Amino acid sequence: MDLFDRLKALREQGLNDIKEAENEKSLNDVRVKLVGKKGELTEILHQMKDVAPEKRREVGQKVNELRDLFNENLSQAKDALVEKAIEAKFEEEKIDVTLPGRRRHMGSKHPIRIIQDDLERFFIGMGYQVVQGPEIESEHYNFEMLNLPKDHPARDMQATFYVDDDHLLRSQTSPVQARTMEKHDFSKGDLKMISPGKVYRRDDDDATHSHQFMQMEGLVVGKNISLSDLKGTLELVAKHEFGQDRETRLRPSYFPFTEPSVEMDVSCFECGGKGCAICKQTGWIEVLGAGIVHPNVLSAAGIDPQVYSGFAFGLGLDRFAILKYGIDDIRDFYSDDVRFLQQFRQEED
Amino acid sequence: MLVSYNWLKDFLKMDGVDPHALAEKLTRSGVEIASTVHPMDGLSKLVVGHILTCEKIEGTHLNKTTVDVGEDEPRQIVCGAPNVAAGQDVIVALPGAHLPGGKIKKGKIRGVQSDGMICGLQELGFADGVVPPKYADGIWVFHDPDLKAGMPVFEALGMDDYVLDFDITPNRADTSSMEGAAFEVGALIDQKPKIEEVSVQADGPDWTGDFTAVADEKIAPKYYLRKVTGVKIGESPLWLQRRLWNANIRPINNVVDATNYVMLLTGQPMHAYDARMFADTKKIEVRLAKEGEKLELLNEKLIDLDPQDIVITDGEKPFGLAGVMGGFNSEVKDDTTDVILEAAIFDPALTRKAALRHDNRTDASALFEKGINWDATQKSIDICSLLLKENADATIDEGTLKATDTVKAEKVITTTASRTNKILGTDLSMDQIVEIFHKLNFGITTNGDEYTVTVPNRRWDIFIDADLFEEVGRIYGYDNIKSTHPETGELAGGYTEEETKVRHLRNLVEGQGLSETINYSLTSEEMATTFVKKPLAKVMVNWPLNSARTTMRQNLICSLLDTAAYNFARKQNELQIFENGRVYDMEGGDYHEHEHLAAMYVGLAGQSNWQHQDEKIDFYYVKGQLEDLLEMAGVKADVEYKAEAIKGMHPTRTAAIYIDGKYVGLIGQIAPILTMTDKNFLGKEIYVYELNLDEILPLMNKGVKSKPAPKYPAVERDLSILVDQDVTDASVEAEIKDNAGKYLVQVDVIDVYEGAHLPKGKKSLAYRLTFLNEKDTLTDAVVTKAMDQVQAALEEKLSATIR
Repeated sequence: MDLFDRLKALREQGLNDIKEAENEKSLNDVRVKLVGKKGELTEILHQMKDVAPEKRREVGQKVNELRDLFNENLSQAKDALVEKAIEAKFEEEKIDVTLPGRRRHMGSKHPIRIIQDDLERFFIGMGYQVVQGPEIESEHYNFEMLNLPKDHPARDMQATFYVDDDHLLRSQTSPVQARTMEKHDFSKGDLKMISPGKVYRRDDDDATHSHQFMQMEGLVVGKNISLSDLKGTLELVAKHEFGQDRETRLRPSYFPFTEPSVEMDVSCFECGGKGCAICKQTGWIEVLGAGIVHPNVLSAAGIDPQVYSGFAFGLGLDRFAILKYGIDDIRDFYSDDVRFLQQFRQEED
Repeated sequence: MLVSYNWLKDFLKMDGVDPHALAEKLTRSGVEIASTVHPMDGLSKLVVGHILTCEKIEGTHLNKTTVDVGEDEPRQIVCGAPNVAAGQDVIVALPGAHLPGGKIKKGKIRGVQSDGMICGLQELGFADGVVPPKYADGIWVFHDPDLKAGMPVFEALGMDDYVLDFDITPNRADTSSMEGAAFEVGALIDQKPKIEEVSVQADGPDWTGDFTAVADEKIAPKYYLRKVTGVKIGESPLWLQRRLWNANIRPINNVVDATNYVMLLTGQPMHAYDARMFADTKKIEVRLAKEGEKLELLNEKLIDLDPQDIVITDGEKPFGLAGVMGGFNSEVKDDTTDVILEAAIFDPALTRKAALRHDNRTDASALFEKGINWDATQKSIDICSLLLKENADATIDEGTLKATDTVKAEKVITTTASRTNKILGTDLSMDQIVEIFHKLNFGITTNGDEYTVTVPNRRWDIFIDADLFEEVGRIYGYDNIKSTHPETGELAGGYTEEETKVRHLRNLVEGQGLSETINYSLTSEEMATTFVKKPLAKVMVNWPLNSARTTMRQNLICSLLDTAAYNFARKQNELQIFENGRVYDMEGGDYHEHEHLAAMYVGLAGQSNWQHQDEKIDFYYVKGQLEDLLEMAGVKADVEYKAEAIKGMHPTRTAAIYIDGKYVGLIGQIAPILTMTDKNFLGKEIYVYELNLDEILPLMNKGVKSKPAPKYPAVERDLSILVDQDVTDASVEAEIKDNAGKYLVQVDVIDVYEGAHLPKGKKSLAYRLTFLNEKDTLTDAVVTKAMDQVQAALEEKLSATIR
């Protein structure tokens, strides 16, 4: 066999060995055997002395070509083996991405608080200050300052928790009106306030009554405050809270601390006004009470009713939440079943 | 007040006035109409029947009747009512009739054919409370000669009427009478109501010379009596009965019905006394009750009279609780012949209190407390007398005896059109204002911008100009008032600083995964001061609803425990909840309210998962949450946790929290003595913290002064020591901080070990100290020196062994 035949055979054998190498080690053995310092190609070069001089150049050329070919194939084979090893590793690392993740507990805001926060932002945007007042209140602020003198029959309207002869758990947030008016310096501008908070009535707890609930009081006093301002403001509140397409109506009502007094209804969001169980077939749902501040209330706070006028409104935060979220038992707010509470997470803004 | 649409026709032309449209108009302008009921709605085939024959069906309580219902042949109907008899005119439901209880079908009862049903009023939907007692347990029987067999019954029974439920606010009690309602409706449909004037032609002798009536003007400013004789007690005519039952009043007899009818008509409560009771003294005296006096009321309730009760007496014994209810012994009875009628005005506050005191509120007492038309006294007593003459064959004696007769002047109020418009936000002309008061039938005169209104006594709710503005506004129509916005100039709205901080804290806690709860402020006396380091004077309500809600809470943990018990009972055992709210005390005699925040953790830190990587909540988890919270809230001051015993808390797993030496709250586990013994808590480990925000809020820093991240690397050194078991981490950290020099920036506990491999009574603690020089690279020598100082101090002060 001459060198050309050997080279031909080596080429065939070498490419086949490269192809069949199963791992990096056996591939390396093949490499050493073919192109190593003591490999077959080197050995062929060592036999150049036996080759006719005129053919040496051709043999050398062939050997170099074959070396290049082997090296190229070896390199490709190595890349393929590395790739295969990585793939095998990834296969080992494979996970079921459809399994559930590890969940933390997510916090949630109380539904009444969602309504409260939302209304607060709404009123702050219109220039109202948020004011707080005491829950253990004097009769003076809870009643007398609000045009409810002793023996006023309306004091019967609210069965009240007294803590001593002249202190009680406030039955409404309205005393904060009186306190704020008394303190307000009108030389620094008109008064615009809201006051959210807890109130208490001596009612046994059932689906529609709670001895404790939350109200929000609003008050605007200035030199040019009218019933039409009240109407415009309340309409904004109703639409903000219950939807832009709601209709509203004002009805005459009675509160000792306002005159005229009104209540506002919104068209029923369940039936759209046709009449259903929620609106008791009237098509309307009562949402709040309001009115023009009674002159006696202004006077009691040291404000001249001939110069200043104002409007006030009071709304039930529980009631708003009940209406907005379709809650049918007010006790749900205060028994705080976590499953009840957590459904409001998506209401967060 | 239930107002009959048909009755309104006595006062106003109601043609073309749709009852439902009227209800809406009333609601928008005056009085809310809660419902408008047409009693015959849904009913059909109910006719007058004349019973021709009636015979017992052997062995049953039933009767077989033949009834003329206006058809060619009488119908055979089986009837079980005890009062059925031949010759009666009755209500017959023909086969196919719809009744509230269902549809009537032909059929056999006990084998006897029955082609319909003879009805009682209840079967037509009448409430038990309005059916006259005589017919309560049987069928209704007509006594009206005008009724013919086969006529529908609806008109005769008043079921063709529309009944408007006036939901009257306390100020509009003037509409608690038909006449008052007629004025209100008249103002809205622009008609002057026709109010009947009466004059009595007495046919009996003058009785006023032979009888004395005495009353105090202060307790009974008006007190009128009339006398009728020869009364024959019987049923009232049907027209009167149906007006009563449509107003939800039960017809009783022709005397009682007449007094109730007048009350409905004019709003003046009337009372009828059997004159025999006053035969001895020939006197009625109205006075305050005396201590020890007793009275048996009409409803057979025996009451101990109070010296603030107004009583009607014969000069000696009480016979009635004025304005509330008559006495049992002076009630009109079946054999009563002579009746003394009373129409009076009693003091509203005394009447109200008497009704409340004796738990005996009545229609009459409600009217007295809300107000009576002072100009209707004579008219009411006259109409009542005439009704008795007409319906009970009575003879009216001459004269009205008036113990008191205070005259109330009509109110006169002057204001201006411009002020009216300013308050209402309207632009009404004087003519429009005048027209409105004409509609209301008030007197009005004008003088330039000024107008003066004379308010009739039937509208006792009007005192001041603002009341007039309301009348103008509502009659003009709130719908017609523009919607504007207050012109208050530039006002910056917002929260106070404290309110902002409280909301920030709530958001942070919620972000830590806690659900917000809102709980009751009232709790039991015991729980109010449990979980409180230093109980203060308690605020207690005078008349608690129950023993669980007597005292204002001094902590929020008791509320969160209520929530926990509620959730555990519903198998909700993983709880991470919080509340922000107030606690209350009256330390030193003044009332105090403090803003608090409390959180409760039970179960696992995260949700249970299939990888079993569950982290159980323990003291340190909760403490970590609190530390995170305080850091995020910007509380920079040193927070100190001291093991302390607090009632309700675990004796060795509770810390009182101090900031700058001030007590600000607590953290720990609820005492096992509570959780193990109370089945609500099922022995759970419940962890809580509670903070007094009044102390925390001022410590919350707002605003950040930025500095760049450090350019030089920090150096960490670990330190492991052996100390006595009762040496606290806090004491070790304090020594480290005091001795490690100015480059120490952080100390972390990296290991705590107590156990078998250590000498008894010892524990091993390991710390990682981080040093940083913000201005230069730290050299090994500096750090080593610092570590040496720390080790020496620990050895010396805490007898630590460096490991």
